[in-house]
Amino acid sequence: MLLEDVPEGDCLVVSLREKRLDAVIAASFKEALVQRIEQGQRNIVLDMSEVSFMDSSGLGAVVSVMKHLGHKGRLHICGVTPGVMAVLKLTRMDRVLKTFASRQAAIAA
Amino acid sequence: MPLHLVVPATLSDARAATEKVMDLCGRFDPEDRARYGTAVMEWLVNVVKHSYHHAQGALITIRASAGLESIELMVEDTGVGMPPWKFDAAPAEVRFDAADLANLPESGMGLAIIKSVMDSVHYRSDGGINRLTALRRWQR
Repeated sequence: MLLEDVPEGDCLVVSLREKRLDAVIAASFKEALVQRIEQGQRNIVLDMSEVSFMDSSGLGAVVSVMKHLGHKGRLHICGVTPGVMAVLKLTRMDRVLKTFASRQAAIAA
Repeated sequence: MPLHLVVPATLSDARAATEKVMDLCGRFDPEDRARYGTAVMEWLVNVVKHSYHHAQGALITIRASAGLESIELMVEDTGVGMPPWKFDAAPAEVRFDAADLANLPESGMGLAIIKSVMDSVHYRSDGGINRLTALRRWQR
């Protein structure tokens, strides 16, 4: 699994360089993001613009990251593709996860 | 052409099989195709994790056929399966309190996704064979 980190002010933009966030990589994705949180990162922007498919394992990993941050941090998501948004709506997680039209909007929010 | 696959019960093979099923889904718009693929992946992952418990050498049989009005799917395994009543009792939507951050679901969404995506879905477990059959129309 390939992640790319780019610090932007007090945010860390993490780009997932994979086409699929699914059961195959969900555990390692979650572990990598939680590691960043445990290292002190509190404001994370997750760029999913290369992800065209997500299953419930992948979604669960994203939710887990948000729960790890709790109320002391924030997880903003940008680059949500139609395939990923379809699953967010299907599960109604679009009401919970904060998605933004652009990376800059996610950073600035 | 109908699809007939017999694949090892691993997560990576579940992913590859899902992609092959999705290749039959050209009549869906991109969002429906993603939803359908997610539902297929949910069941295959369920088989790998909960019916076979990642047992080496276990196999999953997958048949899919795209017709004029719908796509039909059949998945068979010979693992421990689940009681059909449990499948039938699963809700057809993911339920949670959006205001309750600590209790948002991280797992257990698969059956709800399958039931909400498919127009009809049936699960049987007889004679050591567990079989899911599902139909989804191209247009709802």
